[in-house]
Amino acid sequence: MKLLSRLLWVAIAVAAALCLGGVALLRGEHINSIWLVLAAACTYITAYRFYGRFVAARVMALDDRRATPAERLRNGHDFEPTNKWILLGHHFAAIAGPGPLVGPVLAAQFGYLPGTLWIVIGAVLGGAVQDFVILFASMRRDGKSLGKMAREEIGKVGGFIALITVLMIMVILLAVVGLVVVNALKGSPWGTFTIAATMPVALFMGFYLRYWRPGKVLECSAIGFVLVFASVLGGRFVAASASFAPMFTWSAMALAIGIIVYGFLASALPVWMLLAPRDYLSTFVKLGVVFMLAVGILFARPELQLPAFTRFIDGTGPIFAGKIFPFCFITIACGAVSGFHSLISSGTTPKMIAKEWHAVPIGYGSMLMESFVAIMAMIAACVLQPGVYFAVNSPAGVVGATPAAAAATISNWGFPVTAATMAQLAKDVGETTLFFRTGGAPSLALGMAHIFARTGGSAVLGFWYHFAIMFEALFILTILDAGTRVGRFMLQDLLSHAAPPLGRMTWMPGVILTSAMVVASWGYFLIQGVRDPLGGINSLWPLFGISNQLLATIALSVATTILLKMHGARYAWITFAPLAWLVTVTFTAGWQKIFSPLPAIGFLAQADKLAAAGAAGAATQTLIFNARLDAAVCGVLMALVAVVLADSARVWVGILRGTADAHVREAPFVPSRLQAEEI
Amino acid sequence: MTSLRRLGRIVLAILRELADENAYRRHLAVQGREHSGAEWRRFSEERLRAKYARAKCC
Repeated sequence: MKLLSRLLWVAIAVAAALCLGGVALLRGEHINSIWLVLAAACTYITAYRFYGRFVAARVMALDDRRATPAERLRNGHDFEPTNKWILLGHHFAAIAGPGPLVGPVLAAQFGYLPGTLWIVIGAVLGGAVQDFVILFASMRRDGKSLGKMAREEIGKVGGFIALITVLMIMVILLAVVGLVVVNALKGSPWGTFTIAATMPVALFMGFYLRYWRPGKVLECSAIGFVLVFASVLGGRFVAASASFAPMFTWSAMALAIGIIVYGFLASALPVWMLLAPRDYLSTFVKLGVVFMLAVGILFARPELQLPAFTRFIDGTGPIFAGKIFPFCFITIACGAVSGFHSLISSGTTPKMIAKEWHAVPIGYGSMLMESFVAIMAMIAACVLQPGVYFAVNSPAGVVGATPAAAAATISNWGFPVTAATMAQLAKDVGETTLFFRTGGAPSLALGMAHIFARTGGSAVLGFWYHFAIMFEALFILTILDAGTRVGRFMLQDLLSHAAPPLGRMTWMPGVILTSAMVVASWGYFLIQGVRDPLGGINSLWPLFGISNQLLATIALSVATTILLKMHGARYAWITFAPLAWLVTVTFTAGWQKIFSPLPAIGFLAQADKLAAAGAAGAATQTLIFNARLDAAVCGVLMALVAVVLADSARVWVGILRGTADAHVREAPFVPSRLQAEEI
Repeated sequence: MTSLRRLGRIVLAILRELADENAYRRHLAVQGREHSGAEWRRFSEERLRAKYARAKCC
C-alpha cells in the first residue's frame, strides 16, 4: 500500500513536470488549454502534499493537541471552532477578488507562458507560503492582525506603516476596479441596464431580509439571483429598444460619476439596505461562476490562440508598457502573491480554526485554489484570437481612434483582425463596438462567453457575455462599496485623534464628511483614468500591483522575523526567498514607473513630454499634474516599505547576533479538549 | 451515494456560513434566545458592523 502510494505521488509529480515542460516547450502550434489545467493541478497537488506539509510539520510544528484561539477564547461570535471544509470555503470566498481574474488577462499581452509560469510557481513558493505562515502566526497569537504582529515582532513603525499602506492601497484599488467597470459598461445599454437593475434588486433584498423574512439569507439570495438573471435577459430587449437604449447608453465620464455617487451612498446608507444584500449575492454568484468556468474549461477544452510569447515581451505592449521583468509579475499580482491575503489570514480565519493542522488546507490550499482561478482567467483570455484580444484591450491613444485604424495597427503587429470581424463579434454579443474596451473585464467576458457558448453558438454568446460582465461588475462594485466603508472607518479613527466627534460612527456630519473624503480620493484617480489618453489601465494597474506586492513584502518581513525567532536562520529561507524576489520586482517596477526615460512607462518622463509639447490648456496641465501625482504616490509607497524592510533587517541582524530580543510571542500551550463531533 | 450526500451537506454548510445563517444560530444558542425579527436585526447589525470594518480582498 505504501509502495502504491509512493508510485502515485511519483506519477503526479512526473505529470506536473511533463505538462509544465510541454506548456513551456511546445511551439509553432496551438496547444490545448487542458495542458495548462493539468500542469497547474498536478503542481499544486504535489506542492500541497510535500512543500505545504513540510512547512507545517518541520517549520511550524503544528500540533493538534494544542488548543487554538477558537477553542480557548470561544464566544460564539468571532471565536468559534469551525469545520475545516466550511472554513476553507469561507476563507476562499474572502480572498477571491477581481485581481486574479483581471491581472492574468492583462498579462496575456506577453503570451500565455510567462504569466502561467509565474501564477503556478509564484503561488506555490510565494503566495501560499505567505498566507499560510501569517495564518499560523496569527493563530498562535490569539488571532492578532498583521498590523499588531508587525508592531510586536518588528516595532511600532512597522505597525503604523502597515496601516497607512493599506489605506493607500485601498484608494488605488478602488479607483482601478472602478475603471475596469467603467470600461466594461461604457456605451453598453445591455450591460449598464443589468448593473443598474442590481441596485433595486439589492434594496428589495435588504428590506426582505430585515422586515419580511428576517434571517433567510439563502432564500433571499436565491430570489435575488433569479431577479439578476432576469435582468441579464431583459438587458437584450433594453439594448434593442429605440426608447430605452439611449437611457442606458452612458459615456465613460458619466459612468465614473455614477459609480462615485453610488460609492458615497453605499458608504453612508445603513449597511443592511444596500451593501450587505449585494455582498451576499455577489459572493454566491462569484463562487458559482468560478465553478462554472472550471467545469466549462474541462468540458470545452478550448485551444489557446495566443502564442507562448508575443512581440511585446520587449516592453512595447499596447495594454501596459514595460518588459516581462518586472511588469508581468506586478500585473499578475493577486493570482500568484497577494499582500491583501495577509489581512484575511490575520482577520476572521485564525479565530475560527478548530485544529492547528486545518491551517494547511485553509492557509496553503486556499491560495492554490485562487491561483487556479488565475489560470482559468489566463485560459479565458488566450482562447480569443490574438487580433480580437488586442483590439478589445488596446486604448485608442495607442492603436488609432477609428476601428479601421486600430485594426490596421494590430494587423501590422502580426495579429490579423479586421473592423468587419470586430463589428460582427460586437453584434453577436449585443454591443455596438468592442474596440478600446480596456481593463480586462470585457476580454475576460468574451473568453468566458466563448467557453460557455460552445454548445449554443452565437445565439447565446450575447447572453453569456453579459452574464460574465454582470458577474464581474457585481462583485467589483461590492468591493468598491465595502472598501469605501472600510476606508471611512479608518479615516474616522485617524481623525478622531484631532476631532473626537469625527470618530463617532453614528454622528451623520462625520459620516458624510469622511465618506466624501474617501470617495473623493479614489474618485480622483478614477476620473484621472477615464481622462487618460492611454486608457488609464497603463498607469493605474501597475500602481495597484506595486502597492499590493509591497503589502506582501511587509507580510513576508513579519513572517521572516517570526521564523528567525523560532529557528534562527535554518528555515528563514522559506519566507525570505519570496521576500527577496518581491523586493527586487516591486522596487524595480516602482523605480521604472517613476524614473524610466520612456514616457509610456515613467510617470515623470510622461509629465516632461506633455510639458515639452507646449500645450498650455487646462486638460494638459491636469495630465501633467496627474503623472507627477502618480510618481509621488509610487515613491511614498516605496519609501514606507523601505522603512519597514530596514527596520526588519535591523531586527534580523540582532536576532542572528544574539543582541536583539528573540522571544517568540506565542500564546502559551493549552491542551485541546475539543471533541471530533464538535467540529 | 453517501459521499455525494456528505458533499452536498458540506456545500450547504459552506453556503450557510457565507450567508451568516450559521453565525445567527450560534448567536441564538449563546444568548439563549428564540428567533424573531427583532433578534435577527440585533444580530445582523452587530455582525455587519464588524464585517464591514474589515478590508475586502482584491
